[in-house]
Amino acid sequence: MNEHVKSRSLHLCTHTAATLLSLLLVMVFDSTKATVATQQCGSTLLQTLKLARFAQKESVDIIKTYKASQGDMSEIICKVSLSGLPDPNISGLESSEQMSSVHSSLQEFSPHFKRVFDQQTDLQLPDSPLLDQLSVISRRSLYLDSQITVLYQQLFPNSPPLGADGGATSLPPPQNVFQQKVYGCVVLKTYKEFLSNVSKYLRTLKNQMCGINARRINMFF
Amino acid sequence: ALLQEITCIFLCHLFIPIPQQVSLSENLKTQQVSISWVGGEATTFDLLILRTELNDTVFYETVTVAAEASGQSKFLWTSAEPLECTSLSFRVRSRSGQLTSDWSSTQILQGNDSPTDERMQAYPQDKTVPAGSNITFCCIIGEGKSFDSFHFISESINVTRLSRRTYAATVYNLKPSRSYGHNAYCKGKTEAELYGAVIFVGYPPLFTDFICETHDLTSAVCHWTEPRKTQLLGRRQTRYSINGRYGQNRKQCSFPRWEENWKLLGWNPLGEYSLTDIADVRSRVVPLPPEELSTVANARNATVTWQWKLNHYVSLPLVCQVELMSSDDKTKRTFSGVGLRSATLLDLYPYEEYSVKVRCGAQQNFWRWGNWSKTISFQTDSEIPSAPDVWMWMNGDTTGQILWKPYEPRKSHGPIVSYEVTLWSPDDITRHTQIVSPETFAMPVNLSGISINNTKVIASVVAKNPAGLSPPESLDLDSEAITKVDFREGAFPLSWQSDANSSCGYIVEWYEASCQRDCPVEWIKVGEEITNVSIKSDAFEPGVRYYFSLYSCSSEAPELLKRWEGYTRELAPSSSVQLSTEQQDSDILISWSEIPSTHRRGFLLGYNVYLNNGSQLTKLADWLIFEILATLGVTALALIIVTFVCYKKRKCMVHIVEKPEWDSSKEVLVVIPEEDEDDEGQGIRDEPVDTDEPTSLRYYNQVVDERPIRPRYPDSSASSASSMDSGRTDVTYTGIQTSGSSLVFQSDSQSSSDQPLVVPESCGGADGGYRPQMQLPPENDNASLAQSHSLPESQACRSGGYRPQNNWQLDSPDEADERRSLAPSLGSPTSIASTQFLLPDQSSDELAEEKHQSSAATWLTNLLSTTKP
Repeated sequence: MNEHVKSRSLHLCTHTAATLLSLLLVMVFDSTKATVATQQCGSTLLQTLKLARFAQKESVDIIKTYKASQGDMSEIICKVSLSGLPDPNISGLESSEQMSSVHSSLQEFSPHFKRVFDQQTDLQLPDSPLLDQLSVISRRSLYLDSQITVLYQQLFPNSPPLGADGGATSLPPPQNVFQQKVYGCVVLKTYKEFLSNVSKYLRTLKNQMCGINARRINMFF
Repeated sequence: ALLQEITCIFLCHLFIPIPQQVSLSENLKTQQVSISWVGGEATTFDLLILRTELNDTVFYETVTVAAEASGQSKFLWTSAEPLECTSLSFRVRSRSGQLTSDWSSTQILQGNDSPTDERMQAYPQDKTVPAGSNITFCCIIGEGKSFDSFHFISESINVTRLSRRTYAATVYNLKPSRSYGHNAYCKGKTEAELYGAVIFVGYPPLFTDFICETHDLTSAVCHWTEPRKTQLLGRRQTRYSINGRYGQNRKQCSFPRWEENWKLLGWNPLGEYSLTDIADVRSRVVPLPPEELSTVANARNATVTWQWKLNHYVSLPLVCQVELMSSDDKTKRTFSGVGLRSATLLDLYPYEEYSVKVRCGAQQNFWRWGNWSKTISFQTDSEIPSAPDVWMWMNGDTTGQILWKPYEPRKSHGPIVSYEVTLWSPDDITRHTQIVSPETFAMPVNLSGISINNTKVIASVVAKNPAGLSPPESLDLDSEAITKVDFREGAFPLSWQSDANSSCGYIVEWYEASCQRDCPVEWIKVGEEITNVSIKSDAFEPGVRYYFSLYSCSSEAPELLKRWEGYTRELAPSSSVQLSTEQQDSDILISWSEIPSTHRRGFLLGYNVYLNNGSQLTKLADWLIFEILATLGVTALALIIVTFVCYKKRKCMVHIVEKPEWDSSKEVLVVIPEEDEDDEGQGIRDEPVDTDEPTSLRYYNQVVDERPIRPRYPDSSASSASSMDSGRTDVTYTGIQTSGSSLVFQSDSQSSSDQPLVVPESCGGADGGYRPQMQLPPENDNASLAQSHSLPESQACRSGGYRPQNNWQLDSPDEADERRSLAPSLGSPTSIASTQFLLPDQSSDELAEEKHQSSAATWLTNLLSTTKP
């Protein structure tokens, strides 16, 4: 009896110890996971968010320059809507899908930027600030895309890698100059709206991945 | 009528054929439609163009068209509106006089406003038109939409409806657009219904000055200028070709080989333009800019050398232009030679900064100058300065200033290091040289120490720079430059020699010498034959010096020929000198300041120095200008004796009394020893006990206090007038004198014989005198003192004293007698006396003072007793 009791007590004790050990392992795992997430918050994600916000600011500035470089009443031509441009909205339900959507849209914008640059080269003086800014936002979009790709690989290492080409981008057919002016403005407006959505998405992602620690870090950005 | 009509229809159809095979060929860019048909023998046709939808007539005219070989007749019609705006219907009929055929079948040029094309559109698109032209836009509203407005740039334009969906608006006198063109657009009822067109407005190409040149006689560089910008950019910009070779959008093209004929063609959407240039290569040589410029500079010249980048120039006759730039000048100098590589620039300024650059051209078949080389700078060497510009300004008989002007730019030939001013007299080999800083441009001079017997003094000024000394610039400082003129018979008689340069006579001006600014100047003008004049004026006052200047009158500025100065009547100076003494061991250095010119009231001839050893005034020195040589011996002897006696006796007081020029209207001046004052009782007793004035001055002030300028007393005299224990020195500046006598108080020989001399009594009666406290007197002091009494007395008697000028007459004989009774110096021109007590310095050995405390107490006792009335 006593041995049974002892055995039972030992078993109970062993079980309790195993439970505690398991709990301890879980806690260690969670802690490690949180640490990894915190490190990610402090590096790629935050850098990407910062870059997206900066690119958004540049898109606001270039729209002002663009309007001033198209002649009188250029404000009204920016109100025209066109089809065939990248969707400024981010699609997908999962975070990885949304990030993939951002990547795709950035790649879609790139040929549009080139088209607008070429069109405006025919309309602007060689030293026009608009041409410089168009070059800048085009390069910035590529850099943002590379940041998104890196972030995607860090956050979703088991997901399929993002496509390099992003699919074929359909550009509008040859346009008259009036259409070019409208087109360029709409491209820039759409890009600005897209970057706004990207910033929101990345901010949400940061909150999800980084939590309070990220908020603390984010206070410094 | 009906019959005629039927007949006509029959004949017309029978003899006037209906145009067949009507066809249309449009050019949307030029908005032209070529209408062709086969009209048989007819050459006159009616052409009708309608807007198809609304059946509006656009064109209806009778045209004469000759049939081509193919039998087709063609007419080119230009539409005001873009052909895309709406559909057009074309019909043609033949005409023969009043007879016409039937209309041909209608040919329709389809517009873009057909229901099958529902898009919103605008035309013309991307058109380039010349500035100043008119253009008609049209908008085709989307199918089922409504038109709202049309805008060009920022203005709303009235529209004309062309069809159900098409509206047109015309803009007149277009202005050149910017690079992005003018925007024209139409709006529908909603914001999304917007469409427009961009039009570019500019000019066709135009260029001038198409020239091809060569730098090396082999290759060619062609360039041209565009006097008017086309305002067109991008695909619309002007493009160029030279001899069929397309060039970039630049205004210059290079070719490796020279061609005799060159043709430049330029074109843009608004047109083309061409220019040609035909030239032999040797007539278009433009050398490249010289390189590696260097200079070798001297003071007055410099050699510029350069190198050529191309060896072609070594044997090429060249003409080169050197541009020489200084701070305020720029000149071009031309040189020539085969393969020219240097040029010598002459006539440069020493120590001058220059910049130089060079350009060259072909000497034979000169075409044009090449480009300038780089500019280099150099500085020429220094050279001795040119002679300075020197002038003088005499502000007194023997004092003045040597003035010289700062060098004008380029006259110093280098930085001035110093100026050297040398004064010398032809009668004296001694030269007085003073070196002054380069910032100094004036130096005061006193000719009294240089000029002997009023001989002229020459001032030479030289400037020195690193290269050496300038040539001297000399001036004669002739103290007699201003001639004294006497006042005779109520006028100043002036005379001069006739001046050949005087073409319109002379001008004599005069003014008070003491006036500094805003001086009242008077003048008279006399004829050229006049060489003397007497100047009279009620404004002349005695005791005031007047300057007279004679100018020659000519076509140029008046030239100063001569100057005079004079008094209507000379008076005694109205102020004393500032007298100071300094003891140097057993010697006393006496110095005094100059009398202000306004206080002189006469020509100052010199100073007398007297020793007052109590009650006696003994002349120590007499610097009478005209009599100094005569009195020098006597004065020196008197000074030695008196000094010796005073030193021995310690009771003498040096008293230097001014010899004023005496105004006869004033009381005469006399110095009365205290003993005499007491004896005579002439009111002196009423003086306050503690008066600060010396006895002699006290009396003087009593007599001449009416003078406008009171004499100034040296502060040192404030000790006490009765402190006869201390030596006193008075300096008198002598007025007009007739005698070089060293004795002052002898008014004339007669009066001196009539009146007993006061000086011996005063000197003998003094019990104090100057006693240098550093050296105690020996035991036989009394003997020395006694000796000192006799010597000054005898000297004073022998010297004869001061003799007043004739014009110093007393007002009446009675008054003269009265004055004569007062003092032996009655009527003397002696001026106000300045007295300096010859007391030892406070820094003297105090111990010595303590040893003589008893002597000081005695001095104080004597002081209190003698100052009481």
